[in-house]
Amino acid sequence: MNLAAIHSWILTLITFTPLVGALLLVLSPRRDREIRWFALGISLLTFVLSLHLLVHFDKAKAGFNFELDRAWIAAPNIHYHLGVDGVSMWLVVLTTFLTPLCVLISWTSIQERVKEFFILLLVMETALLGVFVALDLFVFYFFWEATLIPMALLIGMFGHGRKIYAAVKFFLYTMVASVFMLAAILWLYAKTGTFDFVVLQNTVHTIPGYAAASFWLFLGFFIAFAVKVPLFPFHTWLPDAHVEAPTAGSVLLAGVLLKMGTYGMLRFDLGLFPEQSRANASWIMVLALIGIIYGALVALVQPNMKKVIAYSSVSHLGFVVLGIFSFTTAGLDGATYVMLAHGISTGGLFMLAGILYERRHTYDILEFGGLATPMPNYAAFFLFIVLASGGLPLLNGFVGEFLVLSGAFQAKAIYGILGATGVIWAAGYLLWMYQRVFYGKVTHEINNTLPDLNLREKTALVPAAIMALVMGVAPVLWFNTIDPAVQSILAPFAQMASRVVGP
Amino acid sequence: MNGTPQVADYLRILPEIVLSVFGMAVMLLDPLLEERRRAKVLGGVGLVGALVALVSTFCMAKQRGPAFWNMVQVDSFSVFFHFLVIAITVVVVLSSYEYMEVQKIRAGEYYALLLFGAVGMCLMSSAVELVLIFIALEISSISTYILAGFRRRAAISSESSVKYFLLGSFATAFFLYGVALMFGATGSTSIAVVSTRLQAEPTVPVLAYAAFALMFVGLGFKVAAAPFHVWTPDVYEGAPSPVVGFMSTGPKAAVFAVLLRIIFEAHAPGALWFVWAAAALSMTIGNLAALVQTNVKRLLAYSSIAHAGYLLIAFAALKGTDGIISAMFYTASYAAMNVGAFAVIGHFAGAGERYITVEDYAGLGRRSPVLAATLTIFLLSLIGIPMTGGFFAKFYVFSAALQNNLIWLVMIGVLNSAIGAYYYLRIIVTMYMREPNHEEAVPPVSFSLGSALAISVVATLYLGILPGRVLDYARSAAEYIR
Amino acid sequence: MTSEANLHLSWIPLLALTGATVNGFFGKRFSRSLVAAVALAFCGAAFVWALVVVSRFSFLPEPVYSEPFAQWIQISGFHVEFAFFLDHLSLIMLLVVTGVGFLIHIYSVGYMWDDPSFYRFFTYLNLFMFFMLTLVLANNYLQMFIGWEGVGLASYLLIGFWFTKDSAASAGKKAFIVNRIGDFGFLIALFLIIQHFGSLNFTQVFDAAGRLPTETAGAGTMTAVGLLLMVGAAGKSAQIPLYVWLPDAMEGPTPVSALIHAATMVTAGVYMVSRSHVIFERAPMALTVVAIIGTVTALFAATIGITQTDIKKVLAYSTVSQLGYMFIACGVGAFSAGIFHLMTHAFFKGLLFLGAGSVIHAVGGEQDMRKMGGLRSKIPWTFWTVTVGTIAIAGIPPFAGFFSKDEILWKAYQSNWVYWFVGLVTAFITSFYMFRMWFLTFFGEYKGDADRHDSHGNDHGHGHGHGGVHESPMVMLVPLMILAILSIIGGWVGIGGRFEHFLAPVFQTGVEAAHEVEPHSSMEEILMLVSVAVAVCGLALAWLLYVKKPQLPKQIAEGMGSLYRAVFNKYYVDEFYARLLVKPLLLGSTNILWKGVDQGVIDAALDGSATGANEVSDSIRHMQSGNLRSYAGWIAAGAAAVIVYMIWVGTR
Repeated sequence: MNLAAIHSWILTLITFTPLVGALLLVLSPRRDREIRWFALGISLLTFVLSLHLLVHFDKAKAGFNFELDRAWIAAPNIHYHLGVDGVSMWLVVLTTFLTPLCVLISWTSIQERVKEFFILLLVMETALLGVFVALDLFVFYFFWEATLIPMALLIGMFGHGRKIYAAVKFFLYTMVASVFMLAAILWLYAKTGTFDFVVLQNTVHTIPGYAAASFWLFLGFFIAFAVKVPLFPFHTWLPDAHVEAPTAGSVLLAGVLLKMGTYGMLRFDLGLFPEQSRANASWIMVLALIGIIYGALVALVQPNMKKVIAYSSVSHLGFVVLGIFSFTTAGLDGATYVMLAHGISTGGLFMLAGILYERRHTYDILEFGGLATPMPNYAAFFLFIVLASGGLPLLNGFVGEFLVLSGAFQAKAIYGILGATGVIWAAGYLLWMYQRVFYGKVTHEINNTLPDLNLREKTALVPAAIMALVMGVAPVLWFNTIDPAVQSILAPFAQMASRVVGP
Repeated sequence: MNGTPQVADYLRILPEIVLSVFGMAVMLLDPLLEERRRAKVLGGVGLVGALVALVSTFCMAKQRGPAFWNMVQVDSFSVFFHFLVIAITVVVVLSSYEYMEVQKIRAGEYYALLLFGAVGMCLMSSAVELVLIFIALEISSISTYILAGFRRRAAISSESSVKYFLLGSFATAFFLYGVALMFGATGSTSIAVVSTRLQAEPTVPVLAYAAFALMFVGLGFKVAAAPFHVWTPDVYEGAPSPVVGFMSTGPKAAVFAVLLRIIFEAHAPGALWFVWAAAALSMTIGNLAALVQTNVKRLLAYSSIAHAGYLLIAFAALKGTDGIISAMFYTASYAAMNVGAFAVIGHFAGAGERYITVEDYAGLGRRSPVLAATLTIFLLSLIGIPMTGGFFAKFYVFSAALQNNLIWLVMIGVLNSAIGAYYYLRIIVTMYMREPNHEEAVPPVSFSLGSALAISVVATLYLGILPGRVLDYARSAAEYIR
Repeated sequence: MTSEANLHLSWIPLLALTGATVNGFFGKRFSRSLVAAVALAFCGAAFVWALVVVSRFSFLPEPVYSEPFAQWIQISGFHVEFAFFLDHLSLIMLLVVTGVGFLIHIYSVGYMWDDPSFYRFFTYLNLFMFFMLTLVLANNYLQMFIGWEGVGLASYLLIGFWFTKDSAASAGKKAFIVNRIGDFGFLIALFLIIQHFGSLNFTQVFDAAGRLPTETAGAGTMTAVGLLLMVGAAGKSAQIPLYVWLPDAMEGPTPVSALIHAATMVTAGVYMVSRSHVIFERAPMALTVVAIIGTVTALFAATIGITQTDIKKVLAYSTVSQLGYMFIACGVGAFSAGIFHLMTHAFFKGLLFLGAGSVIHAVGGEQDMRKMGGLRSKIPWTFWTVTVGTIAIAGIPPFAGFFSKDEILWKAYQSNWVYWFVGLVTAFITSFYMFRMWFLTFFGEYKGDADRHDSHGNDHGHGHGHGGVHESPMVMLVPLMILAILSIIGGWVGIGGRFEHFLAPVFQTGVEAAHEVEPHSSMEEILMLVSVAVAVCGLALAWLLYVKKPQLPKQIAEGMGSLYRAVFNKYYVDEFYARLLVKPLLLGSTNILWKGVDQGVIDAALDGSATGANEVSDSIRHMQSGNLRSYAGWIAAGAAAVIVYMIWVGTR
């Protein structure tokens, strides 16, 4: 098979490998041990395949790489159109990177209905990957909705506490939001007869009645994305979903699923409705700022580890939105980088929280304290990831947030200033949680008996930690592909961008 | 009105003939067989009949054109609905088979009635003459009236039968009256003539308007469109599950075929805002009412009201053929998923339809993974999740409406489908996320039922993944009534 | 700019980092001596290499050297690189950090020997060295920020080193968060700089800034940048209003207090301001603010120092006060004087802290001076070295403190006599409380019991008992002696403005350039005498109160009443912050945001709509009476509606 063919089919391969794995699992007998290994193998295979993208990505190429465009359904005119640019490629890799870790972290914590669990996990991966590689609005919408079911089931079947409430809340919240996007997509199709993003991008302005409709179209997409992000005030599904979800669910939810929203804004809101994006930027940025500060403050006072992390995600994703709607190079580059960094560090935090839950079956911070004594390695990893998430320079969190803020500052000084308060809050809620869990004397006898990290858990955590460090020290490796993509996204905003970016 | 029918004429109603013959065969065999073998044999005969009829539709498809003094019209449109209705019959027969045994119902004329009902429906789709349409409508209705009351042990079943019968005849009376008025207005009952006359007239007589209104009432009742939907929940609750599967899809398909002919082919005059209203009303009432239902059959009854609403959106989209195409596609995919759903329900309900509340489905995902997965697919399709027929059905309807700039109707529809998601989801959630509340093992799925489910699943997914073929056929059919 | 000679500056921080990595990953399995060997080896190597660099540097054609290392952030229109930069200013910092740092490493070996997590301590210590050197050698603001945050992290880890003690853990957290508040200002300053100069590289920024006019008219961009940078500096260097973390930081092991919270890290603010002198010189208003903050802090902290009884707390407040001095210097544009004092302070304050540590070590972990006394004879080496430090800080010639402090006072006087006067008062108070400490600790008779080995609220009481009061081992005393010598002679380099000349290449662009050539006027001599006199008075008063009439202080305290209590409780600043900022924040977040908005408003609204839908649904269900007649009624009604409508349409 020649390289060109590989290049055009690699995305399909990556996207559907997990699904094939899932189907094989459906047919396989309930032998839990083998199933675990198989799931791990599949997810690793997917990861390895996705590395092909990194190796052969051609950043000089205009538009999208690894593009594949085949007519699929005549009416409606649906194309099986895949492709990635510097932004979505990294999100794909992030997904394939996190999934094996999810498998590892669920190794022993999932004991019942193991088969179903890993089936759902792999289906989930395919759906997520599809969202990032789809260039046909219909295909995109399909994968978008497809993520709902496995995630809702993961939460509802394998979660704990008020899992059903959380699952249903998650499903309806995001479902209701995305029908607005569907309406917008339908309108676009009804007027243009195509779902193809690239085509639409060039023709959308020529639609009769576009001027009148564009605001509502923009809004339709935006609401769907805003709920997914989640942007204040659409965020209340997140804490519930996270707290009740199984660890792997939380990791994918925070690590990847939320990025669907920000990615959507980046690709479709900015891509299809630049004028509207600009026109509405101010209130969106205000919401983002509220999210940053509000999320952090609420995180500060949560009695439950997972809720702290969940609200911190609200805060971090606020940075992303802030960066995106600053329409500056720094802002968008930073936003993309925060997406990836947040995926790693928050994913790591949820894995760590899960490890603790496996030992004590609670997330209540008051149940802990002084853990650094019985579990030194665990404490060390936790501190490392906490610092990464807290935006310590030379770790992954800093670069993105710095760029986002400087971008926002260039767009409008006050936005940058208010956003920058986030660095204070972050230090606050993270270190306070850390102190209450790890420092001081052990208050509950049982905590003295907790075993430290075992080999499997280390294997799951080390990659995340290494990533956090590499992303902090060598962001150049990422930006040389992200930046060109961002430039092309910003092209319509050129004159605006040139006005705000310094000499 | 002169000349004797040719062979072609008979070929053009071949499926109807086949079905009737087998139907009568069933009734004749019924007394001749001894008790224990009866059910099996009669079922077999019914199945064979349906299958043969299915094949015969192909012969019929070759013989396009009018028959019996232009009372019957064979074109892609009627072929499409023949195929659909008979396919439904096949699946229903397959799913009834086991049901009858479990429920200890004397099969007897059951299968015969199914076939006769199918005859009526087929005829409705190919009839282009209002009186004939009325007759066909009655044939199908009467058989369904009886079928609805087939669970003789259950009082609720007889009640539903009676209600259905009384209200049904009440409604069909409207239709008949409408036909009469139309004759008065145009001096004909042939749709083609009516249409030409109406277009010829400089001003359409008020009588014609009234006629359309009355006919719509009659048909609206059959498709359970608000505000003529009130009978649905009670009837569905009482009737045997496979029958519900049958009468919630077959007659619907046929009646919508008639509606299409009347509204589009006969060029019903006036902006049909009442269709708009009926659509909005049906969707909203159906979905809202379904939210709090605990009985699965009632729940799906309301859901079918809602789906009638979605379907009516297509009728509001008068310009172009998109409305017709999307309506046809919708009937097909709705049939696929709904028949399947009721097949599962019927199987799971057990003897005397004991397990019929949502709570009974708790833990089904663990107790019978395959059955649960199948039902999940149907429910997802009913929600309208992509890759299922239900999605494209909604999709085409909405885009047809948008072509006609019915943006508000679409918004109502879209929001409704979001609301609808909730109660379907409730069943899925209960199946997978709740612990079983009774440990009675789910009876194994018999071969016949299995194949019925398989057909439905395949159809649902096929329409969801490769809707192209069906759609193209619908498009070609649409040409005939435009 | 990169000259032919490659100095391998990067080696210096990287050596420290290697040390940290090795100990961090393998230290657990190492023996104590091996851990110590690794730590000292790498830290020492860094020091040695620093010396080599210095020797080579003097031969460079031009007195600035920068060495690119790697790209860090590179996006269109903006990029930042890892690169190292050396000029006379960073040269001094480099020597102070590596030199004092190395000495304290040595000292720590003795001091921490019995600590169960010995390796962890040295890992952190080396890590600190790495970040501090990154800060000092950075060639751009963002890299400086790396070091800036990094040293913050190290200090967080080291303050909370004994994390089982809640007070220690809290102190660490407090330090980090308060510093973050400062960093917030720093960050905004960086954004402004990016916006106006499109770069964070020192050379580029200062070249561009140098071309700007002085903002005499009032606040301009440079003023804004200056003020924001000062916010950052105030955080790191514990100036009002962000000084509160430093006293608490004394929870850390004493060597840490010496290295991080006296000699090096806390002076980073001063370094940063001096480094940015080009910007400040164009923002007189910002300079004034710096001067005022410095002045107020100096006096304020000094007064608190009088009443403290914990030996380390006294030194802590004295540090805050001395840092105030350095900011006065910067504020009046005498950056070289500030750096001069920074250096001497590093010597004598490092010495004093180590000495205090040695005392604490001797008396088995006691830190309350009221439980000491009479140690003069018991631990002579410690006594003499501490004495040197005390004299030095008091500003009595010819000890180091005298020269630098005097330089600052003189520059302050030239700028505005108020600064000078406050500085003078502070000098008096300083000399007083330092000698108070000196007398309380070493004179009179011993009031403690040396055989106590619990670990109440002190940092050295872990485990091993001491056979009575005893002198510290050589490994601790040698650094003390070296620092003592430096505290004596360290100031001489300033005689005749030599130090200022040395730094001239860095600061000559300064508008204050006029002063450096000015001859020593008679006025300067007079002021010098005054300050010396003041210092001696301080000594005398302390002698009077704590040796001659030991009962007097109590009476005075009672006499002063509430004022004394206020001072003793550090003016209740911590309580003030807790009440007015922290508590409301937590309560507000809990009750207004979380329970209020999140649950009370948003979720309530959603649940409300859900219940609403259910109610509608219920009512519809009740319409479904099951009654045939009503059904017929509905159908008839619907039919009527449709028919009427159609007829209406038709007849229109």
